[in-house]
Amino acid sequence: MTQTSITNTIRKLRFERNEMTQQDLAERVGVTRQTINAIELGKYSPSLEVAFRIAATLGVRLEEVFSYEGGGQPSPKDPR
Amino acid sequence: MSFREKSAWITLVTLIVLMLFYITHLPPTWMLDPPPSGWMFHVLAAGVIGFVVIEIVAHVIVAIRAPRDAQAPRDERERLIALKATSIAAYVYAILSLGSVFFLIHLGANETGVFYCVFLSFILAEIVNYAARVVYYRRGV
Repeated sequence: MTQTSITNTIRKLRFERNEMTQQDLAERVGVTRQTINAIELGKYSPSLEVAFRIAATLGVRLEEVFSYEGGGQPSPKDPR
Repeated sequence: MSFREKSAWITLVTLIVLMLFYITHLPPTWMLDPPPSGWMFHVLAAGVIGFVVIEIVAHVIVAIRAPRDAQAPRDERERLIALKATSIAAYVYAILSLGSVFFLIHLGANETGVFYCVFLSFILAEIVNYAARVVYYRRGV
């Protein structure tokens, strides 16, 4: 499993909002439930737009949802 | 499993069935002494028609079980998976088809044998395409 350098607190924030399901969040953000699941598990880094939509749906700032653990230097990884 | 992941599995299995059908109907000396083109045309037509029928039936069954999922447009992750898998398949197709053409011409095969090889290269490249999609769906891109 390929892990990204970006971590998130989506699962925790979902549960704090009346136990919102992944399907619920996916429909509001405009992606599939499987994509939300992949994001939560760190298997996929969303685009900036989707990241902002997730934060807006959860009612928090972007940096409260996502954080980058890589430091200043970009690490060599598979280019998209 | 999302509709598009199921779709990738369906197409992967159907392509493998098509490849096996195609290979088993080619005689052992097909590269240098290809069978009559009329006969192979019927084999190809039967294979393609069978492929299309299996694809339609399987996709309809899956879509009936999850209609909302089937009608939803591809999201960014699904588009990325399709792009990456198609990119890999393009390299496979280019290498296999060009390589087989040069190889067969060097052996003295005629244009019919070259066509069968290029067609087989196309099927193999599509198998790689959908196998890559399945891997990316499981792994998360």
